[in-house]
Amino acid sequence: MTSPSDRPDAGLGERLRELDAAGTPESGALFDEMFSEMKTRCDESDRTLAGFLRSRSTSVRRAIVLSIFALLGVAGWFAFPLIGAEGRTLQWTASLVAFCLLLVLAMFMVTRPVHLPAIPRWQSWCLVCVALGATVVAAFWPVPAALAATTHDHGGGFMAGACMGVGLLLGVPVYALLRLVDRGNALGNLVAAAAAGVAGNFVLKAHCSIAGTSHELLGHASVALVFVVGLSLVHRWIPSETRH
Amino acid sequence: MSGSSSKPRPTDEELMDAYVDGDDAAFRLLFERYAPILLRLTRRHLRDDELAQEIVQQTFFRLHGARNDFRRGSKLRPWVMTIAMNLVREHWRRKKRRKMSDLEVDTQAAPEADFMPIELRQRSVLLHGALERLPNSQREVIELHWFQERPYAEIAQIVGTSEGAVRVRAHRAYTTLKQLLVSEIRGDE
Repeated sequence: MTSPSDRPDAGLGERLRELDAAGTPESGALFDEMFSEMKTRCDESDRTLAGFLRSRSTSVRRAIVLSIFALLGVAGWFAFPLIGAEGRTLQWTASLVAFCLLLVLAMFMVTRPVHLPAIPRWQSWCLVCVALGATVVAAFWPVPAALAATTHDHGGGFMAGACMGVGLLLGVPVYALLRLVDRGNALGNLVAAAAAGVAGNFVLKAHCSIAGTSHELLGHASVALVFVVGLSLVHRWIPSETRH
Repeated sequence: MSGSSSKPRPTDEELMDAYVDGDDAAFRLLFERYAPILLRLTRRHLRDDELAQEIVQQTFFRLHGARNDFRRGSKLRPWVMTIAMNLVREHWRRKKRRKMSDLEVDTQAAPEADFMPIELRQRSVLLHGALERLPNSQREVIELHWFQERPYAEIAQIVGTSEGAVRVRAHRAYTTLKQLLVSEIRGDE
């Protein structure tokens, strides 16, 4: 409770309360109605997959997301041929590690408990910008041309489109998963979109041997951009009240 | 909305524990305890009855979703207040972003009712007008400190800043309010 020393002006405080007490009185019927509406929403939500996942404790939600990320990562790593050993440079490894870190950071942001003060929006924006920046920087560390010539010989433009399609496809489950465990953090949709773009880039970076910064910019980095810009436009057009 | 008298009144935390264990009646009791407090809080911030009710419902909806995060020994009130304040802030940001900040609409939707004596209604309008002029960061501190009677340490926890920063905000807010309401206060002295 507040101590008298906390109060700069007792008269003002009393006045504030007195004036405030003149507000609309609440009736029991109003609260009964509010409760039954809210309880119905809770019950309906509990029957959905999102409701089930969101009602898990934060540690469980994080464990679920990390497990699925790990599962997808391992499956993807072994299911498709990695780029040749010559292409696995320090920059290539650094890109993959950076993408992993960004994914984990995004997961922590999205699964933040709602009973804690909301993350400042600039931090979410920062993560989104860093994620977009990381994909661009990674594009300037392309696969060595000599290696690429021995592994693939496709038309650059067409293959950029193909890579982009594959990246977008791979990002969708990541986005969906992060949205499913998000209890309603502000900008959670954008952070999830950035994470989806990063996940797509991770797979493309690990497996795509097509050389050239232009290919990586058009086919890889564009995935994150499309996710972030596309989904932010979708969320702007569709008011969030109707989604939750 | 009636309470029983024979048994000792369970604490909020006991009710929350019971709810986590699957007791729906405990959730109802928590709603009965907190909904009126939250409704007054959100009305003061939003000046829109329907929206205030929606935020209260949303607060409990989120509390329901987050129930498995509640640990025995934790205090429930900061939880509920933080969720509600996060929702209020989110609302203001969204509103600002959509450039829908028409004060006229807000004033029309103010919670004053017809049954209220004119003098009291005018005073209430004055208070809400003065509160509205405060920056959001100061208004939420005033809200929690004066109206909810929360100590500074708890307010700091709810708004996510240091106790010192909360004290500074409160001091600035009270100074501003005092200036804004000076005629009102003097009027009754």
